[in-house]
Amino acid sequence: MSLGFLAWRHAWSHPVRSLLTVGAVSVAVFLVCFLRSIVTSLDAAVTASASNRIVVGSAVSLFQSLPIAYRTTVGEMEGVEDVCSYTWFGGRYQSESNFFAQFGTDPEHMMRMWPEVVMPAEQKRDFVDDRQGCIVGRTLADQFGWKIGDTVPLIGTIYRRHDGAEWTFNIRGIYRSTKANVDEVTLFFHWDYLNEVLERGDADGPRGTSVLMVKIAPGYTPEDVSLRIDDHYAAGPQRTRTQPEAAFQASFISMLGNLPVFLGSIGAAVLVALFFGVVNTMTMAARERTRSMGILGALGFGREAPLRLYLLEAALLVGLGAAIGLLLAWGSQDTFRRLLGTQIPMYHVTTDTMVASGVVALVIAFLAGGIPAFQAARLRAAEALRRGA
Amino acid sequence: MPRPERGETMVRLDGVTKIYTKGGVELVVLDRLDLDVKAGSFVALMGPSGSGKSTILNLVGGLDIPDEGSVTVGGVDVDALSPDELSAWRAANVAYVFQAFNLIPVLTAEENVELPLLLTPLSRAQRREQARFALEIVGLADRMDHRPKQLSGGQEQRVAIARALAMDPEVMLCDEPTGDLDRASADQVLGLLRRLVDEHGKTILMVTHDPQAGEVADRIVKLDKGTVLVEGAEA
Ligand SMILES: Nc1ncnc2c1ncn2[C@@H]1O[C@H](COP(=O)(O)OP(=O)(O)OP(=O)(O)O)[C@@H](O)[C@H]1O
Ligand SMILES: [Mg+2]
Repeated sequence: MSLGFLAWRHAWSHPVRSLLTVGAVSVAVFLVCFLRSIVTSLDAAVTASASNRIVVGSAVSLFQSLPIAYRTTVGEMEGVEDVCSYTWFGGRYQSESNFFAQFGTDPEHMMRMWPEVVMPAEQKRDFVDDRQGCIVGRTLADQFGWKIGDTVPLIGTIYRRHDGAEWTFNIRGIYRSTKANVDEVTLFFHWDYLNEVLERGDADGPRGTSVLMVKIAPGYTPEDVSLRIDDHYAAGPQRTRTQPEAAFQASFISMLGNLPVFLGSIGAAVLVALFFGVVNTMTMAARERTRSMGILGALGFGREAPLRLYLLEAALLVGLGAAIGLLLAWGSQDTFRRLLGTQIPMYHVTTDTMVASGVVALVIAFLAGGIPAFQAARLRAAEALRRGA
Repeated sequence: MPRPERGETMVRLDGVTKIYTKGGVELVVLDRLDLDVKAGSFVALMGPSGSGKSTILNLVGGLDIPDEGSVTVGGVDVDALSPDELSAWRAANVAYVFQAFNLIPVLTAEENVELPLLLTPLSRAQRREQARFALEIVGLADRMDHRPKQLSGGQEQRVAIARALAMDPEVMLCDEPTGDLDRASADQVLGLLRRLVDEHGKTILMVTHDPQAGEVADRIVKLDKGTVLVEGAEA
């Protein structure tokens, strides 16, 4: 027997009420983890971006293509080690709801410039060798049950074939990504193949490339090279806007508007509601125990005894709830990565998030236990005994 | 505290005045009250409701402080102690038994008796040992795993007495310990308290309305409106 044991008994003296509190805490902690993880997962793409890569796009808008000749010109500029085109294809796979990104690119350059894209060597070779080949991210392949050698039919929405048929790409490789700036839910194919069909006049669509990714040569700074490129095209034919890869990633996130602020306020509201819930439980519990606290006083326990009891009790309930919530958040990562799929492909719960949520929960427990404890400490034993009788 | 010999003064109230102010009205509960209780004696405090009986017990146990006068227990000036000293002193020297709801409802009989022993340096095993021994004395060893709800009123009261006993206090303060009990249970509890005085040398100050309860006491003090009305030995 100990005071801790008494707190334990108190915590379970109303099992239903306690379980409801534990449940509320776990749901709240889980929600806070989940919301924060959405934000950190989006941010991760920005922070993981390489500092020696820059993105050249149209100065007019992201939806305006650049002439493909820029690829050669930029590639020959001082300070440029490598260059690679990315063209947004915007195809539809089977139905509207199956959204995922597809890019036409330059396979050899892409795989040189993106060490974070990992594939067996023979798959890389097969991709390069097959003009109609493509590679897909591991998660995407899992989602649709694709294997190497399968054919992916895509309905062109930007690039329409005159024969009304689908575009087809042969899966030559399944990649995984080692960093958060590259997701595993994208399909990459040969830009050359797309261009070839357009040149033949078999399909309609914008010519050129959406953006160029440039790798900076050693000894040059991204700022200098960016300036050189933008200066070069200042007079046209198409003005460019060059930015670091991180800023480019961030501009996609800013397209989501104030999502982080919005999610943050929901999280804060959840915590405030949780706080009042736990305070309410503890105040109710404390009212029932006025008499018991008076008895403790009469037995010679000091004023810190009620404080310890209430803090322990609140910590027990909140701690248990928080543990369950954290476990849920941690355990559901794969499920949510699948559910959020192409929207938040790199969904994951960071240790930071878990620790922060746990700490917030404990602070709430401390306050929620502290309030009735403070009231109890002000109530003298004689008064407690009189009231409780 | 050096234990006074049987017959020496254990509890002394000297010109004690206690005033409560409620809604601007002053209520003089105790008016320059003197009281002297000898060590190893059993004193019954009687008097009408509101005459200040519980207030006296609270003052003796240091749960309340007098507005005037002094309270000494075993030579210690109770109202001169700091709150922390008071807690420690109370744990070591006085034990309470109330009319009802004496026990912590979520703990078993044994755990309730063991509870105050947490304030002593005793080991876990020693605490259990002592708690069981105290329950043995009050005749409830077979009920030690019961919660208060599962006990009769008389049994609850005996557990409370066992808890008081476990601390081996000099002074036991009992506030209407038989008030909620039927005759048979009340007699059992009174017999038990008497034994504690006779066999264990405890000093007991007991508030009661029960005329028969007065009969087991060595002395009856009758209070009225904050002063001692009659003080005398009972045959
Ligand atoms: N904290 C307090 N605030 C205001 N008045 C109080 C307080 N404590 C006691 N009183 C008053 O003091 C008086 C004496 O109270 P006390 O409890 O000592 O009476 P009692 O003799 O024990 O009565 P009973 O036989 O009903 O238990 C009562 O009128 C009571 O209302
Ligand atoms: Mg009373």
